[in-house]
Amino acid sequence: MKILIGSDDNGFELKEYLKKYIERQGHEVIDKTPSRGLDFVDSTHLVASGILNKEADRGIVIDEYGAGSFMVASKHKGITCAEVSDEHSSKMTRSHNNANIIAIGSGIVGRKLAEGIVDAYINEEYAGGRHQIRVDMLNKML
Amino acid sequence: MIISIGCDHIVPDIKMKISAYLKSKGHTVIDNGTYDFVRTHYPIFGKKAAEKVASKEADLGVILCGTGVGISSSANKVKGIRAALVRDVSTAKYAKEYLNANVIAVGGRITGIGLIENIIDAFLDAKYIKTPENEKIIKKIDSLIVNDKEQFGNEHFFDEFIEKWDKGGYPKE
Repeated sequence: MKILIGSDDNGFELKEYLKKYIERQGHEVIDKTPSRGLDFVDSTHLVASGILNKEADRGIVIDEYGAGSFMVASKHKGITCAEVSDEHSSKMTRSHNNANIIAIGSGIVGRKLAEGIVDAYINEEYAGGRHQIRVDMLNKML
Repeated sequence: MIISIGCDHIVPDIKMKISAYLKSKGHTVIDNGTYDFVRTHYPIFGKKAAEKVASKEADLGVILCGTGVGISSSANKVKGIRAALVRDVSTAKYAKEYLNANVIAVGGRITGIGLIENIIDAFLDAKYIKTPENEKIIKKIDSLIVNDKEQFGNEHFFDEFIEKWDKGGYPKE
């Protein structure tokens, strides 16, 4: 699977860590923010645009709390982003919301929890079925 | 304060606890539904609750669904809304102080009622810290949605999907 990843300055170290971790799981990672210096609006915009351009299957955005990146990603039409700090939400949002990006706060989530969140997100598939009407509604929104 | 609340059919019982909690603290609550466990769709209620905040009819919003993701995503797709989905008090406080977040979301199947109350308290009590840096980033977030003419306040925005659902156009499982 192809994963896009990006972060602002505060999320940079966790992004570097997760990049290596995801690659070790056998996935391809495209780093949209290879150098420091971006704020979370610009870093998240790069990942969201990449997902909308179908450069990869899923995206991960990181800043200190995750909240800012979540707001930014959600305001891209066609993006459903989940701000997560636990494995169960990460799994359920793939399955029910067809989330194409997750937002993680590097100041909130430690490395081991981040690994679990990423595993749950990557390994789960969208369930479709009755959930599709809600996904259609979200995608019609701005 | 006037607080706009909303939820999906998975957690109306928890929303009622939140509503009672807010009222016990002296707040006025606008409850946008849903009001029972009958299957419905979270974007309807996320949009409705958020629009009350965007239009300034309410000061802030508190929304929830199973994980909080669906309802907070739909809220963030409303122009002028900055919604944070949290599982901890620190993020709730940060979101208000630095991003002037106007909606807080939780997962009713993720976070217990004690922590939810604590998160709401922190969110309502925190004050936005107005600095040039914070103003700049908020302006950047807000500028991502430009034209919301067809969406904002449009009660028929989701009709095409609801009609398809009613006609059996979506699987029930």
